[in-house]
Amino acid sequence: MNQFWAPLIEGLPGWLPQLLWAALQTLRLTALSFLVAVPLGMVVVLLRLSPFQPLRWAAICWIEVARGTPALVILFLIYFGLPSVFPWINLNSLTAAVVGLGLQGGAILAEIFRSGIEAIDRGQREASLTLGLTPRQTMVDVIAPQAWRIALPPVGNYAVGLLKDTSIASIIAAPELMLRAKDLASSSFMPMQLYVLAAVIYFFMSFPLALFIRRLERRITAVRRT
Amino acid sequence: MERFLPILLEGALISAQVAAGALVLATALGLMLALFSLGKGRLLYWFARSWIELIRGTPALTQLFILYFGLADFGLQMPPLVAAIVGLGINGSAYLAEIFRSGIQAVGHGQTEAALSLGMSPFWTARDVVLPQAARMMVPPFVNYGVQLLKDTSLISSIAAPEIMFHARNLVMETYESMTIYLLVAAIYLTISIPLSRLASYLQTRTAMAR
Repeated sequence: MNQFWAPLIEGLPGWLPQLLWAALQTLRLTALSFLVAVPLGMVVVLLRLSPFQPLRWAAICWIEVARGTPALVILFLIYFGLPSVFPWINLNSLTAAVVGLGLQGGAILAEIFRSGIEAIDRGQREASLTLGLTPRQTMVDVIAPQAWRIALPPVGNYAVGLLKDTSIASIIAAPELMLRAKDLASSSFMPMQLYVLAAVIYFFMSFPLALFIRRLERRITAVRRT
Repeated sequence: MERFLPILLEGALISAQVAAGALVLATALGLMLALFSLGKGRLLYWFARSWIELIRGTPALTQLFILYFGLADFGLQMPPLVAAIVGLGINGSAYLAEIFRSGIQAVGHGQTEAALSLGMSPFWTARDVVLPQAARMMVPPFVNYGVQLLKDTSLISSIAAPEIMFHARNLVMETYESMTIYLLVAAIYLTISIPLSRLASYLQTRTAMAR
């Protein structure tokens, strides 16, 4: 056991600032991907629910393909595949990771938004349309304000999953926590200590978020039951 | 393409084997953890809860690296495929434990009470009353977990397990045809994951209607 702790305590002062800086990069990557995924998810869900069948099919294909492919494959397609076919596209690894995780996130969020929208009683939609509201007003003023409450906890869970999935971006060398841990592990020959440290940092980022979402979820279900 | 496909499919077979091995391990561990977190033993309860939270709070990739590179440094050098199965199995156990637990908890408490007051033993109550109903609710999320697991096997290429992504990366290094190769890889994943997730949502609608 000493074999683990002694080098850890010795190396920690040097490693920790670098790992914490990399953790901030992980948070930035998570935030940027989330910011791509949310508007994309909204667009895709509107297409998915549109009355025009080709649009609906396009959305379904998009959702199924993006959700059914591993994030790693999507990142490789964007980072290595795209420039090989279109030489003028040259994304750096961070942008490729944001685009890839965002594209996949858009599909995941579209399904979350859809189940939120479909949880609203159909009568509300019919009533608003009968009262003369336009379909747009019905969505914006009647359905969406109620649906987002239902969608909030699963969106939060998606964010926690995204935070952990950003570790995959290290494989295309995007600057984040796992990449830094890998670099430090190979320069110091202390893989155990560094990967355990990385795990601890990930845990302290994702667990509080998960706890917060669980509380939120309980509060929302409590409100809906009354 | 005729050249790439056989090599990639060979990798896909390894992916499937790893997924199957991890699924068995995750199911066994997950059942154990679910029972611990529902049981009366406080120590076992806390063990299960911390296990579940620790695993769910860290990325699968980090767990794989700890198992494969970390343990090797401490004298336990596992072959990549073993590390992959153990790593993904441990990772999955936490998610499955939660699926099993919420399935069991979703069966009304009144049913257990009724069965016990009718004189059924706790074992038979669990076996004949609670579990058959819980199992039906667990199936859709279980299948969804299977899809997730299959996609997660792509991560084990980074610990040099010779699965589909590993072969794909080698082929790209030889031929530079990254777009074709990775699109083929995506297509192979999709032919397995889309039918599975369709099955899950079909089962889900059926369970929801039965209720």
